[in-house]
Amino acid sequence: MTPPVSTPVLSEPIDPAALPRFDRADGPDKVTGSGRYTADLTLTGMLHAAFVYAEHSHARLLSVDTSVARSMPGVMSVLTADDVPDVRYTHGTADRRLFAKDAVRYDGDVVAAVAATTLEKARAAADAVVVEYEPLPTVTDLEAALADGSPLVHPEWQSYDAADGVERSGNVASFSSIAKGDAHAAMADAEHVVSGRYVADASHATPIEPRGVVAQWEGGKVTIWSSTQVPFAARAGVCQTLELPTNKVRVIVPHLGGGFGGKCGFHYEAHVAALAQAAGRPVRLVFTRREEFLAPDRRREGMIVDLTTGLRSDGTIVARTAKVLLDGGAYMADGEFFPQMAAMHVAGPYKMDHCHIEASLVYTNRQPSGSVRAPTAPQGCWAVETHTDELAAALDMDPVAFRKLNAVDEGDEGCVGQIYNKIGLQDCIDAAVAAVTPEGDLGEHESIGVAIGWWPSFPGASGAIVRLDDDGQGQIVTGAQENGTGSVMTLRQLAADELGLAPQDFQIVYQDTAAAPFDGGSSGSQTLINNGRAVVAAAGRVADQLKELAAAELEASVDDIVLADGAAHVAGTPTKSVTIAELAAAAGGGALLVASGSEDPPEYPELDTEGGRIACIGDQGVAGWAGPQFSCHAVHVRVDPDTGVVRVLNIGAAHDSGTIINPLAALGQIEGGIMMGIGQALTEITHYDEAGNQLNAGLLEYKLQTAADTPNVKVVFIEPGADGVGPRGAKGLAEAPNVATAAAINNAITKVIGTPVRSLPMTAERVWAASMGVDEGSQP
Amino acid sequence: MSFAIATTLDQALAAIADGARPIAGGSDLVVGARHGKAPLPESLVAIDRIAELAEIKAGGDVTRIGAVVNHARLMTDPTVVGNYTALADAAALVGSPATRNVGTLGGNIMNGSPAMDTGAPLVVMGAQVELQSTGGTRTLSIAHLWDAPGSNTAAAGELCTAVLLPPPGDRCGSAYVRLEYRRAMEIAVVGAAAAVVLDEAGAIVNARVALAAVAPTIIEVDGIEDLVAGRALDDDGRAAVADAASSQASPISDMRASDAYRRHTVGVMARRALDAAVRRALGEEIAVPVNRALGIGAA
Ligand SMILES: Cc1cc2nc3c(=O)[nH]c(=O)nc-3n(C[C@H](O)[C@H](O)[C@H](O)COP(=O)(O)OP(=O)(O)OC[C@H]3O[C@@H](n4cnc5c(N)ncnc54)[C@H](O)[C@@H]3O)c2cc1C
Repeated sequence: MTPPVSTPVLSEPIDPAALPRFDRADGPDKVTGSGRYTADLTLTGMLHAAFVYAEHSHARLLSVDTSVARSMPGVMSVLTADDVPDVRYTHGTADRRLFAKDAVRYDGDVVAAVAATTLEKARAAADAVVVEYEPLPTVTDLEAALADGSPLVHPEWQSYDAADGVERSGNVASFSSIAKGDAHAAMADAEHVVSGRYVADASHATPIEPRGVVAQWEGGKVTIWSSTQVPFAARAGVCQTLELPTNKVRVIVPHLGGGFGGKCGFHYEAHVAALAQAAGRPVRLVFTRREEFLAPDRRREGMIVDLTTGLRSDGTIVARTAKVLLDGGAYMADGEFFPQMAAMHVAGPYKMDHCHIEASLVYTNRQPSGSVRAPTAPQGCWAVETHTDELAAALDMDPVAFRKLNAVDEGDEGCVGQIYNKIGLQDCIDAAVAAVTPEGDLGEHESIGVAIGWWPSFPGASGAIVRLDDDGQGQIVTGAQENGTGSVMTLRQLAADELGLAPQDFQIVYQDTAAAPFDGGSSGSQTLINNGRAVVAAAGRVADQLKELAAAELEASVDDIVLADGAAHVAGTPTKSVTIAELAAAAGGGALLVASGSEDPPEYPELDTEGGRIACIGDQGVAGWAGPQFSCHAVHVRVDPDTGVVRVLNIGAAHDSGTIINPLAALGQIEGGIMMGIGQALTEITHYDEAGNQLNAGLLEYKLQTAADTPNVKVVFIEPGADGVGPRGAKGLAEAPNVATAAAINNAITKVIGTPVRSLPMTAERVWAASMGVDEGSQP
Repeated sequence: MSFAIATTLDQALAAIADGARPIAGGSDLVVGARHGKAPLPESLVAIDRIAELAEIKAGGDVTRIGAVVNHARLMTDPTVVGNYTALADAAALVGSPATRNVGTLGGNIMNGSPAMDTGAPLVVMGAQVELQSTGGTRTLSIAHLWDAPGSNTAAAGELCTAVLLPPPGDRCGSAYVRLEYRRAMEIAVVGAAAAVVLDEAGAIVNARVALAAVAPTIIEVDGIEDLVAGRALDDDGRAAVADAASSQASPISDMRASDAYRRHTVGVMARRALDAAVRRALGEEIAVPVNRALGIGAA
């Protein structure tokens, strides 16, 4: 294997210009506009789809009359629950159907779908569908939802199938707890006890490309082009709901215009496939921005966190108790693990002998929450890290020193009994603070806040095929999905390094479930660690084939063959060589240069739950972390005390995400994660009416950060060199930068206004209100 | 539906007399239609290619800014930046570079949003609006242009052809500031403009303050001169102006802000606008827009 061309210094604030160039194979298409996204596709005879949405956030569905719509000119198919198999689906609990059947439960529930020759005709027909409802009482208050006698979002929840270990009751869609030692006794003995409530509103993934789906049937098989992050999960959903075998459903993803987790899960592929089947014509669905805001699983869950921590006077944490309520919305999607993940974040990367944390994902009549980039982490981290500064303040300790004292390091045990290997958290704290500390004094109304965060890596199944064709040029056929992070694009680098070729020698065939083996999709920061493993294995097998051919050609031992610079040579004798193109040409007439790779993923650590010292109820397998990632963000802000407007000036971000394979792409992920974090921290608020309907489902009133708001960002990668789960010791990466930013911003604001803000986002008005002593801490 | 492009004023006036709606940049009209505010009108006449509406003419006893002059030009034009600086401040804050390149002054004021950015500056600088129809031309004080949110007092058939401003004087200064939550693509949460004339000693001779996004229309704050005239601007004057602005505002609560927060912050904006206007009148260079130069709003 050829070593990477240069080894840039990543352990000091990175100068992007000094990083090795990364030619993204999808770059020219995307920047010149020649790339095709789902909405750009047109097929002969294609129809346009429009949906009929619920008119109430909670109502019994009495009747759906499609007769007028069906008779309108140009309308080719109209579907309701009666027209598709009666199947309940999703991941954690099978609580939803393609079309609402007996009830609607939030403002984005789909009641019917129409396909017509033009979009205008489809919309007109959708408007002509007559639906009779009987409104039901709504559930929007997380605490009231848990009270006896609360109306239930799913009165028949007990009859639904659920995944193993999902603990349910009433409006609780999933419950988890982490208990270690005897938190209540330890709390009673603590020298200082600090409590706080932290309330986070929902926010949105907000990819710039709204969702699109095109479906076409041919010969009893359906091809679906979809802007999904998870083509195999989308395929599984279509197979389940339309009762089809996997080999009759092909999901292809054209270029994807961002996802941020909002395009995870199975959603509208089956609706469009069913419309196309009924009409006998291809059908295209393209969402409006409003629909994009209403779609299920696009929403980062609102959260109420009540935290209590007991301390010794020396600053060590002795016990923590917490109660976390998460707004799951009307359906649970992939949220079954959210409570356990939220519990981990509220515990934080700290040593503690005693803790008791309970977390509940609560059904409400709002948009379903789903895996948005690092689900539960930014809110959980914001709560616990705001609390951590309050702990330090209670002891009159420096908050950075307090963190260094209590944060886990090599050999330490965290909240769930996992003993960590060599990790870089302590170094991250030092590096982030150093990166942002100015030479002189801070300006007026300026301060620096610090927060630490963590996030797991997710080993999982994944496959790829690598081949060299007879001119020595390569193809990587992969199930992996590129959602903009560059991780699929980085696969070329991995294959090239195995084969002694250049990344540009490879084309990537990707995002097609019929062409490539399974991959979990662009979710859970898993692409490079899992599909990278597959590509390295496949390319390694092709390398072995090349070496055999070269050994015969050069009359040398296979073990002495080195692949480098487009040729095979004998170790120590570079002149004795043959080009890979020549070898490939020879192979082209015989045994082809092709191999697949997958390999078993690394194991998750077992937790020591023996003897009841540690107990996790509702265990969803996200407490013991493989390849744990750590980070520290230090944020320099200026607060306008008269208005509460906060401006982020500088951020130092230090990350242990294991070995960094592609520094430039990694840097982009950190910067992007930080911008998303600033939006969640300051401007991205979701407004609802009392019934749970979204009021600001659009980019006019849902305020993302803009390029003009970008602060200076200095990034440092700490590579401790152990504990990675991917190629070369890599861990996941892309979610980790979206954990600690909001927390660090609150700690900075607190230093200026003298009190933390207890509601997220910390809008200007909330900061101003907090500074006036009026804090909302109100429910999301 | 019909769409015509006028290249002369007469063509435009004839089309409007026939019931066509003028469209300049379309950045309110078309965007609003897409958002379901109001359907696109049946008949449209584009006015953005009428050369005489795109002129800025200074000199003599009036400065004339054509109705289709866009924000990108307003924020950089030497006449505007030098003498009507509050208007340049406002134009520089509009949307994004793309919005500023298509959005026009006429469109901004005729659209009549209470959150429009150019309105308050025009009020404090004593602007007149020129309205033309096939029947003739009239001018009216800009304060009389608006009667309700999203509405104006022009008659059917009238086109706004220009905004007229009094000629610049000595020791004048003006500024517009707004509260914003981010630094681009924002709408004024609240805004305030101030214009002052000082005497040679730096005492205030004349001062006006107007407010955006705190009432059904842009409003002028009454009694400003009583609070600050006759002396250099001091802390008492600043505080009194802030109080007057807050108490004369009648803001609503909506998703962007509560009424209480708007009432408070519009006082802060009024104070800051007045302060910047006085500093400019005293000869200090504060770059356009004040929001960026002095870190106001999303500093
Ligand atoms: C992304 C975005 C950001 C924005 N940001 C801001 C902002 O920060 N501040 C702000 O104030 N505005 C903002 N706007 C609103 C808008 O851009 C401005 O109001 C702009 O000045 C409107 O000008 P226009 O030429 O595009 O108007 P148009 O949309 O063409 O017209 C608006 C209305 O005025 C009428 N009209 C236009 N010209 C005349 C005329 N000469 N005589 C009579 N009637 C006329 C039209 O019939 C229509 O009713 C924003 C808009 C967008 C889309």
